[in-house]
Amino acid sequence: MIENKTLTELIRAAIPDAEIGIFDRTGTMDHFNVTVRSREFGGKTLIEQHQLVYGALKGALKDGRVHAVELKTIVAEE
Amino acid sequence: MDYQEEIEREIAANPILVYGKGTKTAPRCGFTLETIEFFDRFGYPFEVIDVLENAPKREALAEMTNWPTLPKVFIGGAFYGDTDILGPMAASGELQTKLEEVFGGPSEQRETIQLR
Repeated sequence: MIENKTLTELIRAAIPDAEIGIFDRTGTMDHFNVTVRSREFGGKTLIEQHQLVYGALKGALKDGRVHAVELKTIVAEE
Repeated sequence: MDYQEEIEREIAANPILVYGKGTKTAPRCGFTLETIEFFDRFGYPFEVIDVLENAPKREALAEMTNWPTLPKVFIGGAFYGDTDILGPMAASGELQTKLEEVFGGPSEQRETIQLR
């Protein structure tokens, strides 16, 4: 279980300009649909963009606060 | 046991390989099922390896790919993430091209659908 606020903070720690949308898919606060929009994604492949976000969520996924993430990344224009 | 070596061997042996939770016939996670259904549509043979009960192997996979979640998909020896990556690639036609390259031609999709 994790609060949207905590999830947002974790992602912002790695991607400071991130605009983040979070949807709790199951109502149990551990299966999320996450959309991240950032300039940091520019020039990166889709896999690299996702790896950037997953890097930020690594701890929360490992300790079980987050079980599953459906992730969408969007490149923000300069 | 050296899981990295085992994983590299499995990746090399299977043109499409899914590391997931549960098996092809008994998936134990919605995302693993979604990935199986995704590849069923393409008609190429693929393998699913269950790592749900194998924490050290899951850890080795996460380290190798910098990707903490399951399922994890490998095509032609390269890491392709999950359906969040493969979905857009399928929509753009990029995935079909990659699969034809890996398998050396289009799939016998009609036969596969009849078999199911």
